[in-house]
Amino acid sequence: MPCLEADLDFRRAGFRLAARIRVPETGITALVGPSGCGKTTVLRLLAGLERPRSGHIRHGEHVWFDRGRGIDLAPRLRRVGLMFQDYALFPHLSVARNVAFGQPRGDGAEAVRFWLERLQLLPFAERRPHALSGGQRQRVALARALASRPEVLLLDEPFSAVDLGLRQSLRLLFQEVVADRSMPTVLVTHDLDDVRHLADRVGVLVEGELRQFGPTAEVFSTPCDAEVARVLGWDNRLPVSGCEDGWVRGGWGCLRLNGALASGIPELVAIRPHGPSLTEGPGLEVEIARITDMGGYRTLLCRLPDRTALQIHLPPQASPPPPGTRTRLSIPEHCILPLPARGRVPAIPSSACN
Amino acid sequence: MTPWLDCSPAALLLSLEVAGVVLVLFLVAGIALGYALSQPIPFRNLLDALVSLPLVFPPIAIGFFLLMLLGRHGAVGGPLHERFGWDLVFSFPGLVLAAFVAGLPLVVKPIQSAIEGSARELIEVSYTLGKGRLATLFLVVIPVIRRHIAAGLTLGIGRSFGEVGITLMLGGNILGSTETLSLAIYNQVLDGDFACATRLSILLGILSLGLFLILRRLGRL
Repeated sequence: MPCLEADLDFRRAGFRLAARIRVPETGITALVGPSGCGKTTVLRLLAGLERPRSGHIRHGEHVWFDRGRGIDLAPRLRRVGLMFQDYALFPHLSVARNVAFGQPRGDGAEAVRFWLERLQLLPFAERRPHALSGGQRQRVALARALASRPEVLLLDEPFSAVDLGLRQSLRLLFQEVVADRSMPTVLVTHDLDDVRHLADRVGVLVEGELRQFGPTAEVFSTPCDAEVARVLGWDNRLPVSGCEDGWVRGGWGCLRLNGALASGIPELVAIRPHGPSLTEGPGLEVEIARITDMGGYRTLLCRLPDRTALQIHLPPQASPPPPGTRTRLSIPEHCILPLPARGRVPAIPSSACN
Repeated sequence: MTPWLDCSPAALLLSLEVAGVVLVLFLVAGIALGYALSQPIPFRNLLDALVSLPLVFPPIAIGFFLLMLLGRHGAVGGPLHERFGWDLVFSFPGLVLAAFVAGLPLVVKPIQSAIEGSARELIEVSYTLGKGRLATLFLVVIPVIRRHIAAGLTLGIGRSFGEVGITLMLGGNILGSTETLSLAIYNQVLDGDFACATRLSILLGILSLGLFLILRRLGRL
């Protein structure tokens, strides 16, 4: 099965991007990271809109770029469906003509109609983009990208311009449409919900470096370093000042770790919000700052002795003491994740393409 | 002939003829250069500087250098005269060239900035959807920036109508032959016929305004 494989080295005006990615034919591969980390640049490099300084890009047997061999295939020959963040619809063309724009020769009006129907756009076929809502534009952009029969699909923040209510239904539609087709698909997003809902694999980019890459559940549960943990929404991060005999300590108190540390003193320990509980026995000293009922669970915002905030989730039947109360928090060892300052460059399994 | 033109009857027609030819040249060269300058082509900065030169360089000096270059004894004009018998200066082609050089940057710059701004992403989309540069130019760029093209043409033609410095050098200001409307106004002032100069100035103003309105309307389509 042809997968997309890229070894990218790109530099511009003080920014450097270095990433090796392998995108299998099936499923969705997400790229996440803070603003300016190079997510969109990766898509532009893959599409041929930017040129890497060195490295290679291959799709199956086809070499798109190889600096050493002097190969640099033009964007129009790469057969990439790229969906831009703001959709970039042609303002002078109707919805139907936008969708038909990239159609291969031989695909007639029936193919356009198929995509308009598939993405629920038939009633708007003759409208211009300016007369469409955000969600409709998003669907036109996706229909246009897919109608060109791409061999690789690249999506740059496809849901960023639609409101939360619409996002869920669009995700579902998107998942159905993409699942129908077997091609490497890269989704760039800053929305972690998009990643959890849609992606089979995720890569975390930090300052132009691919810090972690792997199955979505694995990457979310075990971030490789402090920065990756921050990107992946691990909000409970406690700075570590010392470590001895399996205990880590900081201004907030001390915690026992599960097993020996792989290397040196961690920069931070991250705490999973699910698992800790209030206790009368030994534990971290906390002051309850706020209790929020989230429906299926309760969120407790606590302050540690050094004023660090810590958020934990309690079952709905739990009845925590009121805000202002000083109490103790028991944190099971499996809820504590020591994190080095900087993770090692991820090893990408070669089986990812097979 | 109306009393408006009795002091310089051929000037209006000549100016309109020059404007007609220059409009076509602007349309072709303006779009081509605007598109080329928005792409990463070799010697882009040099080309950009050459196109922009008439914006910052005194017209009379540009006219003089072009006269030296294109005259019968010039590096370019000499061989053209000897081999083909062509005379670029003191003739209709000289007037066209003067109007073209003077107005070109005003046509190219709006087109270039429109392509680099609003059209850039659309061009990239077109490329990823399998279209080449030429197809992208006609299917995407021109339709999307048509208002900027109209604005550039308006500015360029307006500048060409009012051109004196380069036209004086390349056209020679020969009465009845290379005397454009602007040069006719200049000549009437030199002759002290201010009434005639006033009439011709109003005529030139109406002409420029009319052209502006037509091109603006075309840009809205």
